[in-house]
Amino acid sequence: MKTLKPVLFWIAVVLVVFGFIFPIAWIFITAFKHRADILTISLGKLLFFSPSLESFEHVFTYTTITKELVNSAIISVSATVLVMLFALPAAYSFARWNTGGGHLLFITLSTRMFPGFLAAMAYFFVYKEIGLMDTHLGLMLFFYYFNISFATFLLYGFFREIAPELEQAAMIDGYSRVDVLRKVVIPLILPGVAITAVFVLVFNWNEFLFSVLFTKINARTVAVGLAMFWGSIEIQWGPMCAAASMAVVPTLVAAWFMQRYIVRGLTFGAVKG
Amino acid sequence: MVTYVAEAEAPILKKKGFWDVLLSEKYFRWTLLIPLLVTLAVFMLYPMFFSIYYSFNTFAPGKPTIFVGLENFRYVLHDVRVFWPALFAMFKILVGCLAVELVFGMLVALLLNREFKGQNVVRGLCLLPLLISPLVVSLVWNYLLQYDYGLVNQFLNGIFHLPKISWWGTNMAIVSIIFLTSWQWTPFSIFVLLAGLRSLPRDAFEAATVDGASNWYTFRRLTLPMLSPLILIIVMLRTMWLMRIFDPLYATTRGGAGTETLDWVIFRVVFMYFDLGQGSALSIISLFITIILAFIVFRLLMRALGVIK
Repeated sequence: MKTLKPVLFWIAVVLVVFGFIFPIAWIFITAFKHRADILTISLGKLLFFSPSLESFEHVFTYTTITKELVNSAIISVSATVLVMLFALPAAYSFARWNTGGGHLLFITLSTRMFPGFLAAMAYFFVYKEIGLMDTHLGLMLFFYYFNISFATFLLYGFFREIAPELEQAAMIDGYSRVDVLRKVVIPLILPGVAITAVFVLVFNWNEFLFSVLFTKINARTVAVGLAMFWGSIEIQWGPMCAAASMAVVPTLVAAWFMQRYIVRGLTFGAVKG
Repeated sequence: MVTYVAEAEAPILKKKGFWDVLLSEKYFRWTLLIPLLVTLAVFMLYPMFFSIYYSFNTFAPGKPTIFVGLENFRYVLHDVRVFWPALFAMFKILVGCLAVELVFGMLVALLLNREFKGQNVVRGLCLLPLLISPLVVSLVWNYLLQYDYGLVNQFLNGIFHLPKISWWGTNMAIVSIIFLTSWQWTPFSIFVLLAGLRSLPRDAFEAATVDGASNWYTFRRLTLPMLSPLILIIVMLRTMWLMRIFDPLYATTRGGAGTETLDWVIFRVVFMYFDLGQGSALSIISLFITIILAFIVFRLLMRALGVIK
């Protein structure tokens, strides 16, 4: 019995990890297959195949994947900068003075449950009028709106951990409010700022709804590009997986960065440690 | 800017400028909020008034806008073949995903709630589905669950000699959607619950063990009540997000096979038929349902946290 228990535990852990990893690994496996090995109905050929770069060649010849990756990077990064720039002061105000008595924070949070189509619908025609359709700036504004609530909420939690006495001490030393925020408070919560920024970056990178509605060719992001492999006749699984395997690399890097912080970070202050 | 502040701290000497007011101790908290408030006004208030306005009008590109009162609402609510099935599909996905994510998330959290070799690697790997784009996840599951050449059917058929299942057919499509969405979001439950489990007080559990309580009894009477605020947070956040489900539908059934949710109907009506009137009416209804649901869970959460009685 004593030796059986750890064995059972490890079998369970391996099963769970396999279940979560396999579909992701399958993207990379499929990316390196011949077309014949993707659409085969023999299990043996599906699992044991000779690798090929056919799909990658297709992607680089027939699609604008490089441009899409660059577009995604430009829009995600600039939107993240904008979100952090505006979410930081707002979160600080909520945490220090409870501005708006909690109602305003709840309204901010509720942007996440606000139907995305409501905003998209209202601005679809505005964008057409003023020529923001299919531009980097236009999509960036939507990414910014989509993430500011979540960033504010996360940062609010980090700011609350700073004692007000510390700020008062700095102000007695002659610091202005702006200086206190810039030179004392933000350096203290820098790890929190970094985590929030990475979260926002990942959300931006993965965003699809606004991208597909507001971009066509010029500012097309990689997510929209991926959806394009679903043509009118069939889905091109191979090229799609090849493109996806490149598109998920930044998120894998982010995952590696975040896994250290995430375990202790997600209690939302609901359980006292 | 610093000089302005210095001036603000020496009052009355001269008339205060615009910046002095913004940076003064009294208004600084609101100054910090200006960008956020502008954002909310631009992206929430304007679309809301826009939708309310158009929900009382008919509108199609190139045609004049005509006031029709509640006609749009009457029409969409009486469109029995679209509205009610969509609402029903949305609730099926909501309940199905919440159930799977909470049960499975709790099981894995309990499994991982101990010190073992390589625990960080295991946790990091379990986090991955959450970070990968929902669109990519849905596309790859679409491929894995294909009838002929999908790996899952070939595996079930080839190894266990089970009949192949039409995963994207009329009956199973919604189950497949629930499955792949839960697959992606179970890690979220795992990590929230794991963080909760690790911060529980140890002495209560030791006392229970000394008293000879069974594992099941300890879990039901100690662990579950202590974790209830976190479970409610998961339910609240996931309810908000699940009602907005879009990418999995776009990447698999595209609203077919009985998987059309309320948001998908809006997408179809507005961006394929460009019928703003009906689309606005549907958006308003969808917004109301979300607010009511989120509010109920929010009240429950506040009660569990002891903020209200």
